[in-house]
Amino acid sequence: MANPMEQFVVKPLIPIQIGGVDISFTNSALFMVLAVVCSTILLGLCLRKRTLVPQIAQSIPEVLYEFIHSLLKENVGTEGLKYFPFIFCLFTFVAFGNLLGLFPYAFTFTSHLTAVGSLSIIALVFNIIIGIKKKKIGWLRTFLPKGIPLALAPLIIPIEMISFLSKPFSLTVRLVANMTVGHIMLKIIAGFVAALGIFGIVPILFNCCIVCFEIFIALLQAFIYTVLSCIYLGDALHEH
Amino acid sequence: MPQLDFSIFPSQFFWLCISFFCMLFIMSRFIIPKTAEMINLRKNKIDADLEEAAKLKQKVEVSLQKYNEALHKATEEANLSILKAKEELHQTIERRQTELNNELNRQIAESEKMIATTKKRAHEQIDDMVTEIVPEIIKKLGFSKISAKDIKSVLESNGD
Repeated sequence: MANPMEQFVVKPLIPIQIGGVDISFTNSALFMVLAVVCSTILLGLCLRKRTLVPQIAQSIPEVLYEFIHSLLKENVGTEGLKYFPFIFCLFTFVAFGNLLGLFPYAFTFTSHLTAVGSLSIIALVFNIIIGIKKKKIGWLRTFLPKGIPLALAPLIIPIEMISFLSKPFSLTVRLVANMTVGHIMLKIIAGFVAALGIFGIVPILFNCCIVCFEIFIALLQAFIYTVLSCIYLGDALHEH
Repeated sequence: MPQLDFSIFPSQFFWLCISFFCMLFIMSRFIIPKTAEMINLRKNKIDADLEEAAKLKQKVEVSLQKYNEALHKATEEANLSILKAKEELHQTIERRQTELNNELNRQIAESEKMIATTKKRAHEQIDDMVTEIVPEIIKKLGFSKISAKDIKSVLESNGD
């Protein structure tokens, strides 16, 4: 049976080195680009014929738009709507990354700590920039909420800092763990197909069920990632 | 575990940034505005239609109120006309009845008068005939002569 972890190995496709730093175009990078290309083509095709009464295809981007819009409005408020494109892309990018990974021989970049971690770092930096832009120096209050005695500051500030920095970490681990486990399970069960001979139909059927479940998980995890990002954005914009 | 290989971090970070920001650019420039445009257009159309519907509803309510008022007024006028017509009819009937009664009374009076005249004339003629016949009868019976003057006085005394 093939090693179930083999599917997660990042292989360089086009080796690139700049200043001694390896930024090779890998299979992971290929699927990131594919996620962008596929989402753009799919949504672009859906929006090709736009009518006042939407067709089924046109409903897809519209439902997605309304969904992210309501998500932002509920979790951040109307002032959060300024950052709609960012959250919209966050959801689309993660959802397409997860869904593309379900295709056979595809690579799931959302199952990599470094890839999802990078996305979470971008979201964190984005939140920090917005927070500083809105609250100026008052943003530092994030680490020392109002009403806390100054004497407790040496204790509270490190705790708040850890809490602040653990947000992207928890976001990343949650998504990575879900994607990794799902793919390992698919691979292991698929390994039984050849070994069981004629009875291999059982793991095939089981895998079909798991794929359907994984599609649901892929969208659910993208949703959770987006909701939590919205909540963190709300924290950055509003007072403690 | 390949997930824990942090040596690929620069490559992952670099390509993720490029992909994500490309996506952000494409989405915010093309996909999101196109979607938002259609949704807003639909929302505006629905709002305008709802507003129009509300205006029309208000107009209908005003028309309905006017119609009800007109109907009420027309009913009142009709009732008034019916009452007036009834009264006129009563008056006409009364007038006609009075006229008819007067005419009948007049005709009755005339008839009574005529009857009385005819009766009187009949009496007079009978008297005359009696006055002529009675002396002849008495004469033929062989009684003494009775003058016409006597018979007349007898008849007059009986007539009274």
